[in-house]
Amino acid sequence: MTQDWLPRASSGTILIAAFAALCLFSLATLWSVTEGIRGPYEITDSGVAKAVFWRQAIWVVAGWLALEVARRTSLQFFEESAPLLYLAAVLLLVTVLAVAPEIAGARRWFSLGPLRLQPSEPAKIALVLVLARLFSSYASRDRQLLPVIGSLLLATIPLALVLREPDLGTSLVYAALWLGAVFWFGLSWVFLLSVGSPLLSAIFNFYSESVVHQAWPWGAYLLVLMAGLTVARFRLLESFLLVLANIAAGIGTSYLWDGLKPYQQERILTFFDPTRDQFGTGYQAIQSKVAIGSGGLFGTDYLQGTQKGLAFLPERHTDFIFSVVGEELGFVGALLLIGIYMVIILKGLQIARAARKSFSSQVAIGVTIYFAFHVLVNISITTGLLPVTGLPLPVMSYGGSNLVVSAFMLGLLVNIGSRTFES
Amino acid sequence: MNGGRREMRGRNLIQARILRGVILLLFGVLVVDLFILQIVQHDYYKGQSLQNRQVQIRVKAPRGRFLDREGRVLADNVYLADITLPRGAVTEAGPDSTLAKLLRWFSLPQDETLDRLREQKEAGRPRLTLVANADMPRIATVEERRRELPGARVEARASRRYKHGPQLAHIIGYVGEVRPEEVGDEDDHRAHQPGDTVGREGLEAAWEDELRGESGLFLKEVNAVGRVVGSRDIPLWPVVPGGDIALTVALALQESLMAAMDGRPGAAVALSLPSGEVLAAVSNPTYDPNLFTRGISSREWNRLLDDPQHPFLNRLVQATYPPGSPYKIVTSLAGLKAEVVGKWTHFEPCWGSYRFGNRNFRCWRRSGHGDLDHAGGLVHSCDVFYYQLGLRLELEQLRDVAHMLGLGQETGSPFAAEVAGNIPDRVWYDEHYGPGRWTRGVLLNNAIGQGEILVTPLQMAVLTARVAVNDSDLVPHFRLGGDDASSSAGRPLPLDTGDIEWLRRTMTRVVDMGTGTRARLEAIEVAGKTGTAQNPHGEDHAWFVCFAPASAPVVAFVVILEHGGHGGAVAAPVAARWLTDFFAWRERSSTGGA
Repeated sequence: MTQDWLPRASSGTILIAAFAALCLFSLATLWSVTEGIRGPYEITDSGVAKAVFWRQAIWVVAGWLALEVARRTSLQFFEESAPLLYLAAVLLLVTVLAVAPEIAGARRWFSLGPLRLQPSEPAKIALVLVLARLFSSYASRDRQLLPVIGSLLLATIPLALVLREPDLGTSLVYAALWLGAVFWFGLSWVFLLSVGSPLLSAIFNFYSESVVHQAWPWGAYLLVLMAGLTVARFRLLESFLLVLANIAAGIGTSYLWDGLKPYQQERILTFFDPTRDQFGTGYQAIQSKVAIGSGGLFGTDYLQGTQKGLAFLPERHTDFIFSVVGEELGFVGALLLIGIYMVIILKGLQIARAARKSFSSQVAIGVTIYFAFHVLVNISITTGLLPVTGLPLPVMSYGGSNLVVSAFMLGLLVNIGSRTFES
Repeated sequence: MNGGRREMRGRNLIQARILRGVILLLFGVLVVDLFILQIVQHDYYKGQSLQNRQVQIRVKAPRGRFLDREGRVLADNVYLADITLPRGAVTEAGPDSTLAKLLRWFSLPQDETLDRLREQKEAGRPRLTLVANADMPRIATVEERRRELPGARVEARASRRYKHGPQLAHIIGYVGEVRPEEVGDEDDHRAHQPGDTVGREGLEAAWEDELRGESGLFLKEVNAVGRVVGSRDIPLWPVVPGGDIALTVALALQESLMAAMDGRPGAAVALSLPSGEVLAAVSNPTYDPNLFTRGISSREWNRLLDDPQHPFLNRLVQATYPPGSPYKIVTSLAGLKAEVVGKWTHFEPCWGSYRFGNRNFRCWRRSGHGDLDHAGGLVHSCDVFYYQLGLRLELEQLRDVAHMLGLGQETGSPFAAEVAGNIPDRVWYDEHYGPGRWTRGVLLNNAIGQGEILVTPLQMAVLTARVAVNDSDLVPHFRLGGDDASSSAGRPLPLDTGDIEWLRRTMTRVVDMGTGTRARLEAIEVAGKTGTAQNPHGEDHAWFVCFAPASAPVVAFVVILEHGGHGGAVAAPVAARWLTDFFAWRERSSTGGA
């Protein structure tokens, strides 16, 4: 018997309402960010131009159009054109690396007059669609390995290209989309263990070697792993290979670490100890925590945030927009915003599970993972749970590519939802 | 619905539950984290946000200025712009850090600059100075690109300016940065903090407390890049500026004395009478105190330190010399006081030398002076006369009069480095040679100001002044309207007034017809005494002490030229030249000033 978490009938209405709420939330916050400080203090320029607000207002209209297009186009069209869209996306990613001007040390944008386009954003849609197409065509067969390897290849190409830009945040999104798609497609525990445990091993080894300079965390992890394998009665050969893979991943991490540039190492180390670098990378993390923490239960009130207004918060209109919400609207405002995202994500899961066609289901889960990953990681960065890496908050953060792509994703979800429930 | 589809749905039920569980769990962690940040730790972060934007700024008090007696500025403060960074900036890494950007844009040598900043950090400076006294293009760069340079600031710093640097170096001295051991409590804004300046030498050091004033404390609102915003400075403690100090020195007279000395090593000082105010005081060679505030290079510093002429030595109070013949003033007064000699007493004539025991004590004039009375002995500075006078005295009698006139003891000048010199008595000789291991022969040397007697030029000025105005309490003053100026109406010397009168008349004859004729002025009578002091280091020191006008003295003047030769030939002309300027100045200021 299926279980429902949210009312079915109005799924499209709920999602569109959530989108509208996010747009309003975003515009209100951007208005505040561009206002400077008030109150007992002299009004001071906040350092973010008012134009940011007006541009975003135009992007909201464009996002609305994108949502409508995604909602009204037949899903079959997306299924058929998925490989083509994917190829186009990869081509754009190659082109951007070749011809785009370097901005702030990275090649991520095409400049079209006043517009800056970031092809790695629409590539997220293309990746969701092409993975859905691949897995759906294997949905009723018993073969697992072929689609998994194929999907890995499909995901790795844009991931590698985006890493070259360099854009670590976006490449992590691709990885998450792939992982979500594979998971939804269905996989054995053996597979999950053989992919997941070396990853954990790498993290533990790094923590041992580069942060605490002691061997025991990694050693303890390996012991726990071996104990777990024994308890779960894994076959000897499998266990042996797994532990070997773990050791290799651990040692490989050391080599990878040594290959990093000093400032990259510093950035990662600063995550573990932000006070290392109060005026560099750690600065953002510390200031964001101060802004959010000073908000308290109800915040400083709209337009009254001093950390935002006095420009202590870097990137306050883009990646760190959540910190402004946290400061001005407090815990209550933050919960409200998170609640809106929760609605989208839970609705997405529901639609994915209820979808009649495998392709639709895979697309829906892709959209859900897209939102969940972006929101979780972005907010965790602002509260200092994760190291700083560039990742926007969907719809909220200033930026056209992000808004249009998020809107399009939502449109796909509405599209799938309406076909599932309304027919 | 086919079987495959059902199978998929069945599997997805589990996956959906897992996925939902994981997502809810992660959002749960996020909410708990936000709860901790915003509710549990709210007070801490609220405090941090206040600390972020409210900074307590310690505002240093402007240091008091030095003025001359006519109100001319001798030392003041100029404001320089420094480009500073927070203390954390040195440990910062990464190509996009503020420090890295500034190093690139200003093309600063990386290792050298980093070493310098680390040194400052270790010294405990609250902010590190990347560029001291920055020029306009650099200031403009930092001001205009603030947003790319979090932490960087342009800060004004007061720097001492000595407008007549070398002229007054030994009087005013100079300031320097506080040493770590002088730094006070970190929380006490009024105590010395790292980077503060303190007086190091001269009057800057002597009157530090008064010149320094009191630093204030303000609460200011700043934004992320450290720019002060808003106009709400909340004063927590007011700034008390340091007090200006007017010196008794007249810049014009100082300049004229510098010119008269013409760069020759030695010292000269002029006291206004009867007040004892120092009108001009020179110690040669000198140095430029501005070197210390601009930042002296170690090469330059070592060159000055190794200079055999010791430019840092304040010869006025730190150098001791044998007084030579001007000490005959002491011997004469002691003899008259002890009544072992009268004003017209004749001793044995001078034939160029005097035999005592088995030793010949020579007169400076090899051919001898013949028969002289007491006054003649002083006028012609006859050593043989004074050998005989000395033999009639005890060391203590000489010492007492020397002390009475200010020799062999600190004059009470504000200079911390002032030395006492030496007027030996029997105790002293017993201590240094052993009882019975010295003879009365030392009296012969003492009587003519040689031997172990050592005095400073300022002491000689006091002696001259006390004799000139018969004031046993006269001390030199450097400060106009100073605290102890009232005491200048002192007691007369505990000597017979007639003796002093006789001495003054006789000193007038020294200049008129004796050894000091080169100090004669056209219209004004000068009373003086020359000296040619033998010393173990080389050529004789040339002394000249005098006061004028002889009948009603308004100024006492003393000069010594190291290894200059004959006092009458070398030192007396310096006095003549300066006194001419002095009386012209006096004329000007009494007609123009009043």
